Amino acid sequence: MTHIAIADQEPHLHHPKTFIGKYIWSQDHKVIAIQYASTAIFVGLVALLLSVLMRLQLGYPETFEFINPNVYLQYVTMHGMIMVIYLLTALLLGGFGNYLIPLMVGTRDMVFPYLNMLSYWFYLLSVIILMASFFVPGGPTGAGWTLYPPQAITEGTPGAGVGIIMMLASLAVFIVAFTMGGLNYVTTILQARTRGMTLMRMPLSIWGIFIATVLGLFAFPALLVSAIMMLFDTVVGTSFFMPAILSLGEPLQHEGGSPILFQHLFWFFGHPEVYIVALPAFGMVSDVLSVHARKNIFGYRMMVWAIVIIGGLSFVVWAHHMYVSGMNPYFGFFFATTTLIIAVPTAIKVYNWVLTLWRGDIHLTVPMLFAIGFIFTFTHGGLSGLFLGNVVVDLPLSDTFFVVAHFHMVMGVSPIMVLFAAIYHWFPLISGKQLHTGLGKLHFWGTFLGTYAIYLPMHYLGFLGVPRRYYALGEASFIPESAHALNEDITIAAIIVALFQIVFIINVIWTLRSGPKSERNPWGAASLEWQTPDVPPKHGNWGDELPVVHRWAYDYSVPGVEEDFIPQNVPDSEVPGHPEHPEFKPKDSREED
Amino acid sequence: MKWFGFLSDKPWLPIPAGSAPELTGPAQVPAPKIALGALLGVISVFFLLIFVTFITRSQYEDFQALAGEPWQPFSDTWRLWINTAVLLAASVFMHRAVQKVRQNPSEAPLGWLAGGALAAVLFLILQVSVWQFLMRLGYGVSANPANSYFYMLTGLHGLHLIGGLVALGRVFLQLSSDRSRRDITTAIEGCALYWHYLFILWLVLFFILTRTPDTYAFIAAACGLG
Repeated sequence: MTHIAIADQEPHLHHPKTFIGKYIWSQDHKVIAIQYASTAIFVGLVALLLSVLMRLQLGYPETFEFINPNVYLQYVTMHGMIMVIYLLTALLLGGFGNYLIPLMVGTRDMVFPYLNMLSYWFYLLSVIILMASFFVPGGPTGAGWTLYPPQAITEGTPGAGVGIIMMLASLAVFIVAFTMGGLNYVTTILQARTRGMTLMRMPLSIWGIFIATVLGLFAFPALLVSAIMMLFDTVVGTSFFMPAILSLGEPLQHEGGSPILFQHLFWFFGHPEVYIVALPAFGMVSDVLSVHARKNIFGYRMMVWAIVIIGGLSFVVWAHHMYVSGMNPYFGFFFATTTLIIAVPTAIKVYNWVLTLWRGDIHLTVPMLFAIGFIFTFTHGGLSGLFLGNVVVDLPLSDTFFVVAHFHMVMGVSPIMVLFAAIYHWFPLISGKQLHTGLGKLHFWGTFLGTYAIYLPMHYLGFLGVPRRYYALGEASFIPESAHALNEDITIAAIIVALFQIVFIINVIWTLRSGPKSERNPWGAASLEWQTPDVPPKHGNWGDELPVVHRWAYDYSVPGVEEDFIPQNVPDSEVPGHPEHPEFKPKDSREED
Repeated sequence: MKWFGFLSDKPWLPIPAGSAPELTGPAQVPAPKIALGALLGVISVFFLLIFVTFITRSQYEDFQALAGEPWQPFSDTWRLWINTAVLLAASVFMHRAVQKVRQNPSEAPLGWLAGGALAAVLFLILQVSVWQFLMRLGYGVSANPANSYFYMLTGLHGLHLIGGLVALGRVFLQLSSDRSRRDITTAIEGCALYWHYLFILWLVLFFILTRTPDTYAFIAAACGLG
């Protein structure tokens, strides 16, 4: 049986006529992307506020009466969960995945637009459930973002009643939303690419989003399983994870369960989650670096392989989060080894980014600044990961601020750097307007230097042994006075960085309201998303005819060619200066003229 | 080999004349099939992970398997065999529907589809009756981890079947209002594949949930979970 490729079929597009159809119940991937992104940024700002409150408590203990130990733990938990799942995953895949996939592979929309719309509304529902947990009796859960039982559902932990149930329910709904979106992304990339867009001609952004989505599809079930089983434990009273336990002197009804089982499940999701966030960021930063250095990405094929290999390895390193839980020494050895092996493809990527810059025509635009900033923060975060990947070094550093510094650098600050690079880079495509460069540079330097002011000292605190998740350090002989002073400094830096984000928000609002119109393709990018007939692209993206792709996405500064980039949809015969161009004259004959 | 082939592409090199990839689109499989394949992969991982926790948990002292001794509820599994037969019938009906629509794509095999749906509903009702049987014997959800797993796994399997019924209902409505749809074959094939998948998944559940402690110990040892 033969089937017609999707790209060749008559488009079955849903054409909404009302405002609500166009912008609320929209099935257009671009609108859904913006809905995803706005919601994610909104909850991200809530999480940012929570981090400032945490820092206020750590920098100035016994100063703020409304921050008691319970709410402090709730801030910690909600900050972590929101940032990892509801901001980063949602913004990178739901936001940029949705916006970029159809445009970059040359199709009119996702293959299942209705499912795509449902995906957003389920995501919104999960966010609403999560936010609602702030207002239930007992407040949200304060179990830490890892939600380890037994403490997550045992009385005494903040939110152990309703809060944890709402958290688990919200996660379950989020996973349903992600699965609907993820099936769409994978199918669209595999099936709906335009003619000529072979897999190895796809921009690295798409490769990163693709593999991250595959990771998500296979890793989120582990979180769903752990959420369902913990819901059973807390609501029905089963003992999947709950051991026999005394609470306030009374034995609970549970017996025999294994908390370690939960940890394995959680981290079987939790570690790939790091790469669900990192891989799209890797892809997008590669594209930004290449465009703004006017050079093809160094080692494209190796970059694709590295993404695929990192994706595969990310499923066999999870127990490095559990060295202190106790395990067979051979397991520790195995997981330390796989963890260190994953540094190899990751390092290849870092070298290739640097080599892309090498002798490039570097334009220090705002997106480029953020992209280069990412190389710094990611390298630093990655190097501290080498320490923590080794069992013997991890044990003393576990649950200290060193870990906090490590994962914030590697999967907090770094993806955020890429997200800002991506927002500044693609804003002209999305809105038709260009963000203000001066404000953008101010935002970059404040954020970049500020995050170093926050996280570099935290490594030192970690070496001292300052534990994470503690409401107050109190008097401890191993914590010198200077550590308290350092905590104050970190808090001040955190507040300054938070304030710098207001510059960004002002920039976005001002640009949208009264910013100048941008050029069609202001950065001179070769990839397909900038080649739409209208900028911003209209419903259906491509006007009457789908584009045909003739080359990869990185033809910058091609020798002999007049323009310094060749868009993907331009054939050789239409490139001035190319040997196949009808008016091409060999170099020596040009000299004779 | 195909994957290796394309992963060794060198997209930066000029294309040799005559081999222009411009002429080809992506693979020629319908999108719903790819999406359904991926979804079944996700569901498989989901259940596989629960099985892993099940086998691990089965090696703890307090775990009392539901079969093995004569007084255990599933030492005699005739109830489950009946349910299995009903779900098999559902799968067969769906298979017949696919055969019919392949023979004559212009006519929707509504009767066979309805048969598949009704058998699935009957299976769900019978599963609930098995729950009631266990409850009557005092095997409540939280009384023992083996019971908890039985209720949870059969419940999750049932939820997936209900999801399938919603999808089938949608296809059914579309077909009964517009019998000349072009993509009818793909839709029915998709539903049938999902039904077969859930039948096989049920067989695996049936096998795993009704073993004796010795078998669990053997599986655990073989998987390195003992």
